[in-house]
Amino acid sequence: MRLQHPAEVKGRPSRRIAALGVIALMASLAACSSGPKGIVINLYGGASGTGFDKIIADCNQAAGGRYTIAGNLLPSDADGQRDQFVRRLAAHDDGMDLLGMDVTWTAEFAEAGWIRELTGDEKAQAIKDTLQPPIDTATWKDKLYGIPRTTNVQLLWYRKSLVPTPPKTFDEMLTMAQQLKAQGKPYEIGLTAAQYEGYVVNINDLVTAYGGTLVNADSTAPTIDDKTVQALAMMRRLASSGVTSESLSNAQEPEVFADLQAGRSAFSLNWPYVLSAMREANPAIVDDLGFAPYPSVDGSTPKVTLGGMNYAISTYSKHPTEAFEAGMCMRDEKNALSAALDGGDVPALATVFDEPDFIKAYPMKDVMLTELKNAVPRPVSPVYQNISTIVSTTLSPPGKINPQKSADKLRSAIQAAIDGKGILP
Amino acid sequence: MPTPAAAESADVRIEEEHIEIARKRFNEAKRAERNLGWMLVAPAVVIMLAVTAYPVLYSVWLSLNRADLRKPNGNKFIWFDNYITVLSSPIWWTAFGVTTLITVVSAALELALGMILAIIMHRTIVGRGLVRTSALVPYAIVTVVAAFSWRFAWTQDLGWLSSGDSAPLTKFWSSIGIIILAEVWKTIPFMALLLMAGLALVPEDLLKAASMDGASAWKRFWMVTVPLIKPAILVALLFRTLDAFRVFDNIFILTSGANHTSSVSMVTYSNLIRGLNLGIGSAMSVLIFITTGIIAFAFIKLFGAAAPGADSGGRR
Amino acid sequence: MQPATTNRKLMWWGINILVLLYAFVPVFWLLSLSLKNPETLNDGKYFPTSPTGDSYQAIFKNDDFVHSLINSIGICLISTLVAIVVGTMAAYAIARLQFPGKAAILAMALLISMFPQIALVTPLFKIETALRLFDTWPGLIIPYITFALPLAIYTLSAFFREIPWDLEKAAKMDGATPYQAFRQVITPLAMPGVFTTAILVFIACWNDFLFALSLTSTSRARTVPAAMSYFTGATTFEKPTGPIAAAAIVITIPIVLFVLVFQRRIVAGLTSGAVKG
Repeated sequence: MRLQHPAEVKGRPSRRIAALGVIALMASLAACSSGPKGIVINLYGGASGTGFDKIIADCNQAAGGRYTIAGNLLPSDADGQRDQFVRRLAAHDDGMDLLGMDVTWTAEFAEAGWIRELTGDEKAQAIKDTLQPPIDTATWKDKLYGIPRTTNVQLLWYRKSLVPTPPKTFDEMLTMAQQLKAQGKPYEIGLTAAQYEGYVVNINDLVTAYGGTLVNADSTAPTIDDKTVQALAMMRRLASSGVTSESLSNAQEPEVFADLQAGRSAFSLNWPYVLSAMREANPAIVDDLGFAPYPSVDGSTPKVTLGGMNYAISTYSKHPTEAFEAGMCMRDEKNALSAALDGGDVPALATVFDEPDFIKAYPMKDVMLTELKNAVPRPVSPVYQNISTIVSTTLSPPGKINPQKSADKLRSAIQAAIDGKGILP
Repeated sequence: MPTPAAAESADVRIEEEHIEIARKRFNEAKRAERNLGWMLVAPAVVIMLAVTAYPVLYSVWLSLNRADLRKPNGNKFIWFDNYITVLSSPIWWTAFGVTTLITVVSAALELALGMILAIIMHRTIVGRGLVRTSALVPYAIVTVVAAFSWRFAWTQDLGWLSSGDSAPLTKFWSSIGIIILAEVWKTIPFMALLLMAGLALVPEDLLKAASMDGASAWKRFWMVTVPLIKPAILVALLFRTLDAFRVFDNIFILTSGANHTSSVSMVTYSNLIRGLNLGIGSAMSVLIFITTGIIAFAFIKLFGAAAPGADSGGRR
Repeated sequence: MQPATTNRKLMWWGINILVLLYAFVPVFWLLSLSLKNPETLNDGKYFPTSPTGDSYQAIFKNDDFVHSLINSIGICLISTLVAIVVGTMAAYAIARLQFPGKAAILAMALLISMFPQIALVTPLFKIETALRLFDTWPGLIIPYITFALPLAIYTLSAFFREIPWDLEKAAKMDGATPYQAFRQVITPLAMPGVFTTAILVFIACWNDFLFALSLTSTSRARTVPAAMSYFTGATTFEKPTGPIAAAAIVITIPIVLFVLVFQRRIVAGLTSGAVKG
């Protein structure tokens, strides 16, 4: 019995694959080019905005050969960026020098010893001409840990044709929205209330509006009291008065923007980028778009939550002095203006706000400046990430908040987080 | 001349010698086979051990400690406290229940639909290459982007599956339904591919013989095909269930875990990566591992002899 | 086999179309998103009313993305090749040879595939940083091979089990060495399993996000899924939906080609005459 077996598969496919693999390997080795000579300052964060190459080139020139700045990309979402930083800093990686830090990370990174304190002359330079609230976001336990670079505050955007005078308080806004709804006109109030950081920003806005805070100054205990309860009650009212979108509990900035773009919203609580983005997305609405300060409880100056980014210097960087210089250059007046015009980055440097080009591109600059001067950071705490997760999950969905119960839950969960106990949802 | 008795004992001795030699050859062959076996599995074993031994053991060790990534020198050995904390928390058990629900429903759907797709891919008489390649496309799309496109599609007013006044992603049961839809759509091809390759090994003659004996297509399927592809079903179902239990991407993108739709993997991520609580996070990882271990054990017991390497397969 | 009458062909075409609908309707939605401009992105319509190729232009101008395509292709091809070779050897041994420790090896392989990868990332990162493998091709290839091996071994051994022993015996009786018996008799019959596994391993590597994100930091080794998470919109709050969708479509094409080439081989090794005399 002779075997009839099929024609031998002579391993041709695997040979082809092997050949491809070898070529790929050689290509990769060839791509391992030698980088720039001399000291390289590795910048991580904020290196991919429009026009950023210009800024880096400009600062490399100003460095005069003493160092070269290399811009490295990071994931586009803040959580992804924090992931990368934490992993490498905890491993004492010396490959990162200048870090673009979200304002909420300062306490955490400082407490862990991952970023350097700025003292003396460097500190004076870093805070010169800078707005105070951004400086506060770079401060922990009265020490400065970063160079404030950009900042951000939310505004009340509204449709001028539907809302002749913008509301000054939350109650006014609610009433106006309900009236518009009764008249059959677009009426929705848009705000971010999905279970994520953007929701915590809004909660923080409300809590500060009522004069409260979530944790005490050195983050040793939660400060949840009746002011918090009032704030939570207001959030519940906003969500269950029938004047918000059905998908409020899944709404992030793109959804809030889309509602405004499609003409469903009469009011929109969102960041300044709305203006330039709407110019591209729906030019017809741009002319009808008005902006006003964020509402408050009693009509006084609103105290809104700060966003933004600071430059910090890694503890494990081998060239801290050069990194500091690089950071200062990249956020100096000329470059801050450039970033504001090209990339929509609101500067922390107060002097930029007076530049004519800036005023032209940011017609809402006065409103922003007023808000910025009175803005507050989110709870400053080394366990901020835990607090944020706790707040956003406990208060989700916004329509089902039970103000007293939720406040109690928040208090015990935040205390547990501070003590390092309990698990996060 | 030797006596008959002496001749007989000489025969017996020769026979005994032959048996000795045969036994020696048999033992040598066995040893050779054993050595060959070890040599062939060595690369795989070395790679797997070298890469995962330290991480797995380190994770297990961490789960017995109170450890925070921000305080590298603050580790404290606390025995099983972390496990007690996790297992007595409603957060964990809610996530566990949701995960089990999603796993069971999606695995069952995927097996049924995957089998149908496998049969189609195997038996279609027109456009074979087209059908087989197209059927794999859902599996080939990057999970996070597919999830994102489902989110977009189902978000009120923004997508083609949404209507103006419903927000299915904001309620528990509709969210779970959409999550299962996204999971099933994505991984039917995985099942179908493994099952189809199994189907390819069923000899045509057996099926022909059965149909000549008067068996209907349905009977032929259950009585001839299924028993023969049991190993393929085991592998497909086992690996798919293990993966389904660790669902993360789809839920993360679709609902961010709102309305109690978090899975155990998401809770682990929240504690390990967001909260940087290495102790609790590692304990959760070990618990997930133990659960999947129980699932795997149950499967292998269920399929018994169909498990790979389980028997010598009619060798001698 | 019944004659391929027109009726049967029509029926199969009907069934095929159902399969195509299942596979492509959501994918065309993705394609549509990649062709929409900012004005129509949020209009909720399935088809783009004013399609534009801007997103595609944008991603190919993006150096990081182009580099990541090369990285992905190279890393995944190498990982698949090595995983198949190593896995086939181990699977053959487990399915066809007797030696102690089989159960332990199978259990270990399963154990590895069951442990949540998220907990393994940080220790792996530490190892790779210490060995200077961080942000390199081998730094990704080695973990990919490791986590592909369990599936490869299980799938391939399931297939090796199904191959009748008589074939090997017959080949040996014809004077073939074990290796020749393996190559000329077993290998062709194991092809369905081998190519199935190759496809699954390649796709798993191609779509991996966790390791790609955590074990790379520059375009030296970053693969496509990670690179896509680096795409930025005009501002931090705008998701670059168009470019992400365009990138997803673009990176699916190599896989489709890979599968198109290999899917025929899944039944190629089978012959009905091999066992009979």
